[in-house]
Amino acid sequence: MRRREVLTAGLGAVALAAPAIRRANAQALKPLVIGGSVPLTGAAAETGLNVNNGYVTAATYINEVLGGVEIAGEKYKIELKLFDDASDPARATTLLQRQIDEGTDFFLGSFGSNIVLPTAAITERAKKPMVQTGGGSDAIFTRGYKYVFGMYPRATRQFTSAAALFKTLQPTPQTYSVIYNNDAFSKTAAEGVKLSCDSQGFKRLDQFELPAKVTDVSSVLASVRAKTPDLLICVVHDQDSLLIARQMVATNTNVKLLFQGLGPQLGSYREALGKYSEAILCSTYWDENVKYKDKFFGDAKKFAEYYRSKYTRPIAYHVAGAAACIETYVMAMQAAKSLKPDAVRDALAAADFETFYARIKFSPEGDGDPIALGGMIGQVQKGKLETVFPLAAKSAEPIYPAPTWDKKGA
Amino acid sequence: MDLIAQTLADGLVLGGIYALAAVGFSLIFGVLHVINLSHGILVLLGAYLALILSDALHIDPLLCIPPVMVALFCIGYVYQRLLIQRAVDRASVNSMLLTFGVALMLQNVMIWLFSPDMKNITPSYAFNSFKIGPVNFDAVRVSALIASLILLSVLAAFLRYSSMGRVIRATAQQTMAARLCGVNVRHVYALTFAVSAAFAGAAGIVIGIILPFSPNDEGTWTLNAFVVVVLGGVGSPAGALIGGLLLGLVSTLTAQYIGPAFPNVTMFLLLVLLLLVRPQGLLGNAFSASR
Repeated sequence: MRRREVLTAGLGAVALAAPAIRRANAQALKPLVIGGSVPLTGAAAETGLNVNNGYVTAATYINEVLGGVEIAGEKYKIELKLFDDASDPARATTLLQRQIDEGTDFFLGSFGSNIVLPTAAITERAKKPMVQTGGGSDAIFTRGYKYVFGMYPRATRQFTSAAALFKTLQPTPQTYSVIYNNDAFSKTAAEGVKLSCDSQGFKRLDQFELPAKVTDVSSVLASVRAKTPDLLICVVHDQDSLLIARQMVATNTNVKLLFQGLGPQLGSYREALGKYSEAILCSTYWDENVKYKDKFFGDAKKFAEYYRSKYTRPIAYHVAGAAACIETYVMAMQAAKSLKPDAVRDALAAADFETFYARIKFSPEGDGDPIALGGMIGQVQKGKLETVFPLAAKSAEPIYPAPTWDKKGA
Repeated sequence: MDLIAQTLADGLVLGGIYALAAVGFSLIFGVLHVINLSHGILVLLGAYLALILSDALHIDPLLCIPPVMVALFCIGYVYQRLLIQRAVDRASVNSMLLTFGVALMLQNVMIWLFSPDMKNITPSYAFNSFKIGPVNFDAVRVSALIASLILLSVLAAFLRYSSMGRVIRATAQQTMAARLCGVNVRHVYALTFAVSAAFAGAAGIVIGIILPFSPNDEGTWTLNAFVVVVLGGVGSPAGALIGGLLLGLVSTLTAQYIGPAFPNVTMFLLLVLLLLVRPQGLLGNAFSASR
């Protein structure tokens, strides 16, 4: 009896100590340094924090739960060297140049094409890979860069699935207008909207370019009321999407369908609009119900569970995309059996990995493969974001035409 | 015709809100000769306090104006006495650097406290609207405008008729003479800053009910205040109102008839023109008469 108690206590102690031992092992492992910057303050901080949390979640899980990763017969722990770039491209480039000078070989991307583009130019010159989930502008992928890889298709290819969804709606919409900000991402995204919608045969009524910082859209909405499209497509930033939607409600500016590329994916947006957020569409790139298997976390649900055990902040697709960047790096290093930047770059270019996020595959120019990493379309239904396109991932039927604001408010 | 009327109405509503957001900045500039680069932080502080209070007490955010003004008044007084006055005592440019540094620090403190996420104050009438003739009015913007006009009138009356207002004006016009008459100038400076902070806080509430906000927005409201003051003139609520209305009208007319991407272009063009032609602003410096 006593021996059994001692044995049980011993086993219990070992079990309790296991994570600590794993941590101790992880501390003794060789460091695999991955550098970069993220916007934790400034204009892009809201999503920047999600990206940062995704990077940290994956690295923590790999180090603490899995006890590190094995690459070419050696065990490594991931050491992230991420700094706050304050949403400032100039600061981000300085931070990255310093890390390159200090010998960092691998980089994660910041959030926002305006930051990713100049930082990618620096890593490209130094021939160091960058895997990123924050820059979709075409300019990043059309300059012949070989070392930058993105988790989304380039901006002009991102709207293909939304336009395909519009074509399936009944009665088929005929006209659209587009609103975008005067910045690198929004402008190219608007080009993508026009390309995709025009090719599907929708007639463009108007296009409105807003300044980077918007305080009022009443004049734009007056024009929308004067010439009302079936589809109003906004490729603006989260805050501007909310402002547009609020002013649309208040001025009773109705369209059959409102699509806002960014905004509705955030809980804060849906909470602020309440019942008026019903039937608004947005792009989404991940859902925790996706069925992919994952070498590290198991699947998307287990990733989400682990994330929630670490953070109270609601999970968003940028979190998952950022964690997938780390996984992609590790799998590419394992495939290359090397930590040489050139070998890892080649393995990234040839990547075809299944992760909890998606099947990771890049186009020859480095942006996400439009099919493997292409977007899904979400629609707010009863306060929740449901996936309405593509068919394979659909969790609800799209609502079309959307109820008028009066009906939503009733 | 309807579109012109709608554009003018939208511009006036927006302008009234710009005016309230700038009046505190204008007063500090006029009386203390300090360019308060932390003005936007005080505006946002008001918005966040109102968000917390209205959520906790389930009251209309505009009812939070008195307690928020009291809180900002106290913060403003302490801020001026402990930090700004010391910087002014050494060299006037120090105050600008100091307020810039405080703005950067407090922006990060706000991110730490409230997260970088956008927030929104949503009163019960947030999505209501009404029509006068062909012109559509957003109820929340109109209520924000009414609150702005009332607060600007209260400030104008305070400066004109109250004994403290007279002391503030006297100190701004002739600091030495005021000091010789026994006025505690440092106390008056701190009081002026406190009043300005209180009005910045009130502006924050008004802005918070019409626009989503995050700690990153502080620069926008400081810059807008600066433009309004240059346009309208320094030191008076009337100057802020004229500058604000002008800015609002220019913004909406430009957005409607030139393009929504261009309000900033015309705004700064107007700023440059006015600095060349009438650098004291349309109404001039309210306190310069006997300088």
